[in-house]
Amino acid sequence: MIVRYLLAALVAGLFSGVLMTAAQEARVVPLILHAEEFEGGDEAAPAIEGTTPTTDGAAATQEHSSLGAMILDVASALSPVSVAYAHEGEDHEEGGIMFGMSRFSGTLLANLVTGTGFALLLAGFSLVSGNPITIANGALWGAAGWLAVHMLPAIGLPPELPGFPAADLTQRQIWWVATVALSAAGLYLLFLKPGIVAKVAGVVLLAAPQVYGAPQPSDISSNVPAVLGAEFAVAALATTLFFWIVLGLSLGFANEKIAKAA
Amino acid sequence: MAVSNTSSITLSANDRLVAGVFALLLGAFLVFGAGLANSAVLHDTAHDTRHSYGFPCH
Repeated sequence: MIVRYLLAALVAGLFSGVLMTAAQEARVVPLILHAEEFEGGDEAAPAIEGTTPTTDGAAATQEHSSLGAMILDVASALSPVSVAYAHEGEDHEEGGIMFGMSRFSGTLLANLVTGTGFALLLAGFSLVSGNPITIANGALWGAAGWLAVHMLPAIGLPPELPGFPAADLTQRQIWWVATVALSAAGLYLLFLKPGIVAKVAGVVLLAAPQVYGAPQPSDISSNVPAVLGAEFAVAALATTLFFWIVLGLSLGFANEKIAKAA
Repeated sequence: MAVSNTSSITLSANDRLVAGVFALLLGAFLVFGAGLANSAVLHDTAHDTRHSYGFPCH
């Protein structure tokens, strides 16, 4: 029986990942490609050359320009090559796309893995909290997942285009993960727990990371046009909302068709 | 198996917890790998997905 619930999540996640890939290719990827033209334009190439010979210590003393900060973040943790991103699918010594796949295949694979991951998280949340996901309430579960994983964290850390200025990567990731966890717990208390105390506690949990504040870059100048950034933020949030609604509905459907059909 | 025709969860409470915790762990592992892991290869492969989902990434 347990396996059937996991199987249901797997099916829903893979299905949603495929649809998400189509939505991304239509609305999001063109904006990423457009932004990379600005990222790789005037500043990126010399900046990368500057950090390449000094991959360890000396790179850390560089000034935090918008692009430099981003490059330093990556250079400190991994190869500086990945900043420029393997543009035409060319391979670099450390970065590059897995198994020599095309850019699209890499995105599709990543969407399948991410979709399955979010499906398992949603199913796990439902199972542990004892609130079943059905066809009737699936879209609402999906919307709640979107709020917790995308909309609420985006208040502090809006979806970034390549070349956007950003604060320290580790600090942003910590804030992001903490915000997702607190938002999920807050939504649970708000929507699924009866009683005024739970509602108040839920609102407090939702507000806490926003009041604390996300790590912000000190310099917000960027080569990427603002209009692209605005279009991208909306496109990213819209496509992820689409993904989560599909995920919630298909998980409800899979739960009723696969998990219950024992 | 608990008998219930109105709920889609037909597991016993114990099995439900086991399945739920396992799903949470596996899902977190997958999302971490695709979205957050500090690996150049994973980053480049998942690049467009990471940006699209708004994961904090480079």
